[in-house]
Amino acid sequence: MLERTFETELAAAATDADAIEALRLRFLGRKGELPALMKQLGKLSSEERPQAGQQINVLKKKVQEAIASAVERSRAESQQRELAGRPLDVSLPSRLPWTGSLHPVTQTRRELETIFREMGYSVESGPEVEDDFHNFEALNMPPNHPARDAQDTFYVEGGLVLRTHTSPVQIRTMESRKPPIRMICPGRVYRRDMDATHLPMFHQLEALVVDRGISMADLKGTLNSVWKRFFGKELEMRLRPGYFPFVEPGCEYDVRRADGEWVELGGAGMVHPAVFRSVGLDPQQYSGFAFGLGIDRIAMIRHGIRDLRLLVENDVRFLEQFPR
Amino acid sequence: MLFSFDWLQSCCPVDSSVEQVAEALTSRGLTVDAVTAAGDDWALDVDIPANRPDCLGHRGLAREVSAALGFALVAPESPDGDVEDAATDWVRVRIDDPELCSRYTAGRVRGVKIGPSPDWVVRRLEVCGLRSISNVVDASNLVMLELGHPVHFFDYAKLAGNDAVPEIVVRPAAKGERLKTLDGVQRELDTATLVIADARRPLALAGVIGGADTELSDETSDVLIEAARFDPVSVRATARRLTAQTDASFRFERGVDPETATEAQALARRLLVELAQGKPDPVLVDVYPGRGPAARLSLRSSEVERLLGYQPGIDAIEEALRALQLQPQRQGDEQVEISVPSWRMDLELEADLVEEVARHIGYDQIPSSTARLGLPVESGRSTESEEARDILAAVGFHEAFGYAMIAQDEDNAFIRDGKLPAAALQNPIAEQMSHLRRSILPGLLRATELNLRRGSRNVRLFECGHVFLPGEAANPPHEPAHLGIAWAGVPEPGHWSRSDRELDLYDLMGVVERVLGGLRPGIELKRDRPAGPSGFHPLTGFCWRTQGGDELAWGGALHPDLQQRIDVPVFLAEIDLDAVGRIPAQRGLYTEIPRVPAVTRDVAIVTTGEQSYDDIVTALRSIEAPAPAAFTALDRYEGQPLAEGEASLTLRVTLRPLAKTLTDPETEQYRQSLMSHLEGLSGVRIRS
Repeated sequence: MLERTFETELAAAATDADAIEALRLRFLGRKGELPALMKQLGKLSSEERPQAGQQINVLKKKVQEAIASAVERSRAESQQRELAGRPLDVSLPSRLPWTGSLHPVTQTRRELETIFREMGYSVESGPEVEDDFHNFEALNMPPNHPARDAQDTFYVEGGLVLRTHTSPVQIRTMESRKPPIRMICPGRVYRRDMDATHLPMFHQLEALVVDRGISMADLKGTLNSVWKRFFGKELEMRLRPGYFPFVEPGCEYDVRRADGEWVELGGAGMVHPAVFRSVGLDPQQYSGFAFGLGIDRIAMIRHGIRDLRLLVENDVRFLEQFPR
Repeated sequence: MLFSFDWLQSCCPVDSSVEQVAEALTSRGLTVDAVTAAGDDWALDVDIPANRPDCLGHRGLAREVSAALGFALVAPESPDGDVEDAATDWVRVRIDDPELCSRYTAGRVRGVKIGPSPDWVVRRLEVCGLRSISNVVDASNLVMLELGHPVHFFDYAKLAGNDAVPEIVVRPAAKGERLKTLDGVQRELDTATLVIADARRPLALAGVIGGADTELSDETSDVLIEAARFDPVSVRATARRLTAQTDASFRFERGVDPETATEAQALARRLLVELAQGKPDPVLVDVYPGRGPAARLSLRSSEVERLLGYQPGIDAIEEALRALQLQPQRQGDEQVEISVPSWRMDLELEADLVEEVARHIGYDQIPSSTARLGLPVESGRSTESEEARDILAAVGFHEAFGYAMIAQDEDNAFIRDGKLPAAALQNPIAEQMSHLRRSILPGLLRATELNLRRGSRNVRLFECGHVFLPGEAANPPHEPAHLGIAWAGVPEPGHWSRSDRELDLYDLMGVVERVLGGLRPGIELKRDRPAGPSGFHPLTGFCWRTQGGDELAWGGALHPDLQQRIDVPVFLAEIDLDAVGRIPAQRGLYTEIPRVPAVTRDVAIVTTGEQSYDDIVTALRSIEAPAPAAFTALDRYEGQPLAEGEASLTLRVTLRPLAKTLTDPETEQYRQSLMSHLEGLSGVRIRS
């Protein structure tokens, strides 16, 4: 009797989730019909009780299973309905968080730093306001040395200068540490020059290796592998004799672009004996090479930037082209 | 410097093309920047390094051409006539300071006819970038361009002597002496200036520029030729001090070969005869106190190998030095010795000879190796700047680069009163770049304005860089790394699903705290409001401190005075990354994750503003809680029906028991104690 009522009502509920739930409460809920039947078992004699109890349990199990499968049918049907609906317009703009950027000079510097770090170089830094000794004298440029002309210097009150190159960091490193030394020093440098191809502030990276038996062949090999890694392929490179007071022999180095043109990347050479003596190293015991490059220039090559001034103008439309 | 190809060929008759010569020079470190056709001739623009003054003339550069391409040099003009020590019957020469003038020669050519130069002279000078002035002046320039040795011509008639014979004295100027130079400038001299004088007055600044009094004129008939060697440092100092750099001083300050003085005299004499029909005096006065033996240098083949990384062999070494006219002599199987020629003042060390050998054989012969790599070394550099860059880029800011040089008043706006003033540059490149920044913010503010002016509506910029805080006394400035942040526009990217909210100070705070929290995870910060730099809005300027009270960062809205010229509100903050770096970085320690659910309770109050949010939360934290408690503001409201200055605030406390679920009575009892505590705070009432 009860079973038939349930079956009729369940059929009527069909896949209506609310009606199925109501049915579940009516039959299986705490005050539902089946618990009520169970309570009446007590009125039966002890002979009748087990059989009646078993019947109720069978019925309860039946109801439970029927409801579970009705719930599942209902869920499946509503899912089917949902999946048959109109798909999301995925072409609408997303909710993208702000995108920031790192300056191309920073990105280039980091890439170079990584290359050198993996080759076992330490990364050093030093003050941007320097004294004359570290910026010039220790680098074999005594007062009134004509090579000082090439580096239009900003003078700061108190007999100081804005460093014209990162080379003073080489001196400071050699002053504070015994060879073997393998270091790079990236940083800002200053020259009193401002036009379409010069900024009064730019970025250099210099490398220094000092040990016994370091030769120009090591310099050449190092330059080759650094630029091969940076440009991702073997580029033809050449050294040309060049003059810098702090190296001897000195050179400039170029790489050949895809169009065949040579591009000058920087200066290099073997550390000058006078530089070694200024930091108390014996040039007959030790030898070393140093080379430098302009990070801004390399960044311009790396990103195809043609106007140097964009690097310091800080126009957001420029900066956001280098997202991170 | 510009060279004439035709002229070079007259010094070294090569049959190579101008391109071949240019390439050979470039490969030897004398970079030819450009080759330009000039009629029948070619002009080569050669970059002469500062240590090679011997190449500041055609004959000197021809030596390199000769060495490179193997063609012999034409022998130089041989000095003719008699040489007298110090005096003749027409001039007496005296050098007072032989340190500053190691040689002085004087010659005389009489009866010159001043007039225009012939075409070949005009053309040659033109190729070399000089204008023809007159046959006599041109003659002096031709000597300089051929030999790299500047000569000076005096109008002989205008020289004075104590008796009839004119005197030439090379001496330091006396204090207060004056000289009107060829360029028409009246110059005040001092004792550091070396002058050429006669018996009465200074005639010329030695090695720099002549005087107007003895300048050649159309009436000049007799010419006194000076060819000398002056000390490079002294000439450079004089030229600097009097800001009178000339073609002559350029060469003297790099070093002029004293030995070519007589060649220069001979050539000048010949040119004055040829171009101006002069009659040369057979006698040359030559005072040469600096004469000395040539220096000798040895080169070991082992040193070549040590520095170049390969062994070219002693024969190749000797051959290279010979080609460069260094006249090597073999000493055993592994060493050569040279006598340094007078024109190669740059050759002082064995390493210099290694370079000569490398240059001659070619840098392309040096092998490539990276065999000698030792162990890596630890970097001493701090990482805060790099990490801060990454965090800011990740939350949507663009990295900018600003100049370290800024205008003083711009800098002052973002520095608290009482700090030492910014360091001044002695030779700024522009008026608005006169001082070294003590703050990153002025540059960022400028960049922000520029972007807004160009139509950007959203500017999020940061810069990581050094600022320069002057030290006491003569100490160099302290250079801490700072991070500046500038923000104008909207807080989040616009989206079709909702309307934009206005950017405010709490957005800025969040970004700064993200950076600080990223650099030092778990750091406990306290915001404080000391009197800020004048560039910030007086009501919003604030700073972040550590619990210990150290200031790490500061920020705020822009002061109305600065804001009024910009139509979008700008928020600025600056972090002292060095101060952050001084806080020990800790590896985060694991704390146990609660196994039972957290419970939250809300409390609504109205404050009169007497107590800050932090005051209230601090007070509530002191109450004993049944489990670790965290407070946050759920909602804040000002306005009707509240009174002016009042704000309603809903606080939420979250209790996070670790292992034992809180019972309702426990939680309720805690809430009651919060309420009664709040009721006791002045300026706070419970919202009904």
